[in-house]
Amino acid sequence: MHMADALLSPAVGGTMWAVAAGLTAYSAKKLKDSPDESRVPLMGVLGAFIFAAQMINFSIPVTGSSGHIGGGMILAILLGPYAAFLVLVSVLTVQALFFADGGLLALGCNIFNMGFFPCFIAYPFIYLKIAGQNPTRKKILLAATLSAVVGLQLGAFSVVLETMASGISELPFKTFVLLMQPIHLAIGFIEGLITTAVVTFVWQARPEVLEASSRKTGLRGIPMKKVLTGLALAAVVTGGVFSWFASSYPDGLEWSMARTSGSEELEAPEGGIHATLSALQEKSAFLPDYGFRKAPANEYEAAAGEHAHWPAVDPGTSLSGLVGGSLTLILAGMAGMLIRRLSSGRN
Amino acid sequence: MGRVEPSLFSSTSDPGIDQANRPDPRAFWVVTFAFVLTVTSFGKYEISRLTPLFFYPVTIGTLYGVSARALLRKAFFALPFVLLVGLFNPLLDRQVLLEIGGYSLSGGWVSFFSITMRSMLAVTSAILLAMTTPFDRLCLGLEKMRVPRVLVTQLQFLHRYMFLLRGEALRMVRAHDLRAQGNKPRIALSTAGSMIGLLLLRALDRATRVHRAMLVRGFDGEVRVLHPLRFSWSRDGGFALGWILYFVLVRLVNLPEWLFGWVVGR
Amino acid sequence: MSHHFLDVAGLCFAYPDGTEALNGVSFRLEHGESVGLVGANGAGKSTMLLALAGLVLPSGGTVNVGGTILARNTVGEIRKRMGFVFQDPEDQLFMPTVFDDVAFGPLNQGLSVPEVSSRVRESLEGVGAAHLSERPTYRLSGGEKRAVAIATVLSMLPDILVMDEPSSGLDPKGRRLLIQLLKKFTHTRLVATHDLDLVMEACSRTIVLHEGKVAADGASREIFENAALLERCHLEPPLCMQGKC
Repeated sequence: MHMADALLSPAVGGTMWAVAAGLTAYSAKKLKDSPDESRVPLMGVLGAFIFAAQMINFSIPVTGSSGHIGGGMILAILLGPYAAFLVLVSVLTVQALFFADGGLLALGCNIFNMGFFPCFIAYPFIYLKIAGQNPTRKKILLAATLSAVVGLQLGAFSVVLETMASGISELPFKTFVLLMQPIHLAIGFIEGLITTAVVTFVWQARPEVLEASSRKTGLRGIPMKKVLTGLALAAVVTGGVFSWFASSYPDGLEWSMARTSGSEELEAPEGGIHATLSALQEKSAFLPDYGFRKAPANEYEAAAGEHAHWPAVDPGTSLSGLVGGSLTLILAGMAGMLIRRLSSGRN
Repeated sequence: MGRVEPSLFSSTSDPGIDQANRPDPRAFWVVTFAFVLTVTSFGKYEISRLTPLFFYPVTIGTLYGVSARALLRKAFFALPFVLLVGLFNPLLDRQVLLEIGGYSLSGGWVSFFSITMRSMLAVTSAILLAMTTPFDRLCLGLEKMRVPRVLVTQLQFLHRYMFLLRGEALRMVRAHDLRAQGNKPRIALSTAGSMIGLLLLRALDRATRVHRAMLVRGFDGEVRVLHPLRFSWSRDGGFALGWILYFVLVRLVNLPEWLFGWVVGR
Repeated sequence: MSHHFLDVAGLCFAYPDGTEALNGVSFRLEHGESVGLVGANGAGKSTMLLALAGLVLPSGGTVNVGGTILARNTVGEIRKRMGFVFQDPEDQLFMPTVFDDVAFGPLNQGLSVPEVSSRVRESLEGVGAAHLSERPTYRLSGGEKRAVAIATVLSMLPDILVMDEPSSGLDPKGRRLLIQLLKKFTHTRLVATHDLDLVMEACSRTIVLHEGKVAADGASREIFENAALLERCHLEPPLCMQGKC
């Protein structure tokens, strides 16, 4: 499932962008270190293949619905983790631009959710371990299904975490997890079955293809520790920087952390990090938050504090917002018509 | 992943249109990102403050001749997941947030509308980028912005062979449907496995042939391109700076409220 | 003495599964000759071309291009002198725009930017496709694709042009234009094709391959008048010689 811009905060989106950029640069460097010019057209054509394969809609047993392949595992099996990751980056970028899948800010999340897990977790630690040597039909079935399921579970969980951290959706953590994980368990099984079907087909028709690819990937243990440390560092730094600048509400990371850390009440914890953060925020924000500033009395301040993340209800603001917003939209429409008239008059 | 919607592909900007008068792809990338960041930077209860941002898609769309219908059509494809998640907001967040003339609106509904609006804005901006600038120019722009060369080449090759391979897949599905029983033929999972496998083998053959064609023309592992991009400060810098300043203004000043005050005469 | 000759002597090639695709092929092309390479499916035409380009390594025999013998360390030099136009232009045109694609070869040769630009312009003009320069390659008609594919090779200024099925997938007008183009070139040309009428018009000489060997080599008209030879090699006389046009 693609993460969407609309559910993201800039802090989370930016952090995941940094993570995705780091992984991309790392994979690009890895490929540069083991040059193989036949890989250039191979990667490109296989990326295109993913789009083509998704045109083939098959019926899903029992449910009566239909689905299509995701393809991440097939890429990893044929190309190895680094090249497969870059191909997935390109596929997701084209999907964001042409298919309206997710959006540009969410691209970082999507690259991480759908690229990192299959290529750097499921493939090396599950698929290769089971079907790396002397593959048999059974081994491929087990390896492909298990790695597809695990990859998708991690990806789905990551969507939940990103949504929670962004704090745009109201879905409680538990509900969201219960919603996402079982769906993706089913999707994972289907993906595993279809991946198995494709891989065994290729394996029987042209075994040399798979052999060549397993030789070519040259994967002798990814230095996971290094990768993960780098990622964590990048995430913390950018996350910190973004949440510092991006939010004028306490609605970013810290809000959702306070929320999911167990306190069901919406009270802001007295003192501690939260207080420090909001104090910092008041000082560092470009403009003091207008909802709070308008509140004249001290008790109002206190009332607002009780709701922590609720902006103040102010009927005046509501009305001006509604009317002002509608006026703005009308103006935008008129601007469009004006531009069209002007440009058609010129031609 | 991607839905099957051939019409989505008819989007790449018309090659017949002169690109000289369009902003440099780098400027366009930067502005699009600034736009998405601005959209997402607003709190979840903001609706009216998002409205000034509609000036951007409307202006760009009309200036560069993108039909509003095509744009909206594509933007709607992005909605289902967003709506699915967003619909929980009205159920879970019942705190009254807005009161107008005796009617009250819960925070959940406000944030739901806000999410829908964000989705429309963010997705539209990405599609606008793709529809107004040819893909190879977008890639050139990326390369100039220090995106790894491997990835840029990858994007170019992917885009080059995407249409071709989709055509192959489409013909395969058609051949299946013509021989299958019933009005609405369905492809069984096992059949799909061999169809996709066959498609994969063809793709691999294609890659081999392309590789040969590259080799005989002196390919040594690096794809070289001439870069005809010229960043003009007056045109492209102005484009980028102008819009970014507008986004900053929208972020800092409550324009709709100001407009309201001006109209009401307060 | 011209360096534009191609000399093939005793070329052999067998696929890993044991199929013998080439079994001692020998012929020589002189400067400016236009030669058709014909033969039934599986006669070894495609393998022959791949071997010429050094894309498959022959198990025996030599390929001599203008005095350079094809070997691992001379592949680059050979490919510089020989321009290959493959059967499917979709494989040949892999870059985003026509300009980029025609510039691909010259850029790999390390030429300067103005030189590359002028080469691109000249090659596209040479095939009558100068107006397509800025077009994305996937948005061309079949004939345009073929013309541009030829231009991508011309831009490298080869001495010898080698083409695989250049007329496949072309409509009659496109085919007509291609024949005119082939006649116009002064390069040494080797055209592998099933289109025997094209050979009759554009090639003065014909080499017939059969089961990995040269079955005949001579003037095109003589070869196509030899009914027994054609029959034996699973070929038919060109339509224009069957009195059908």
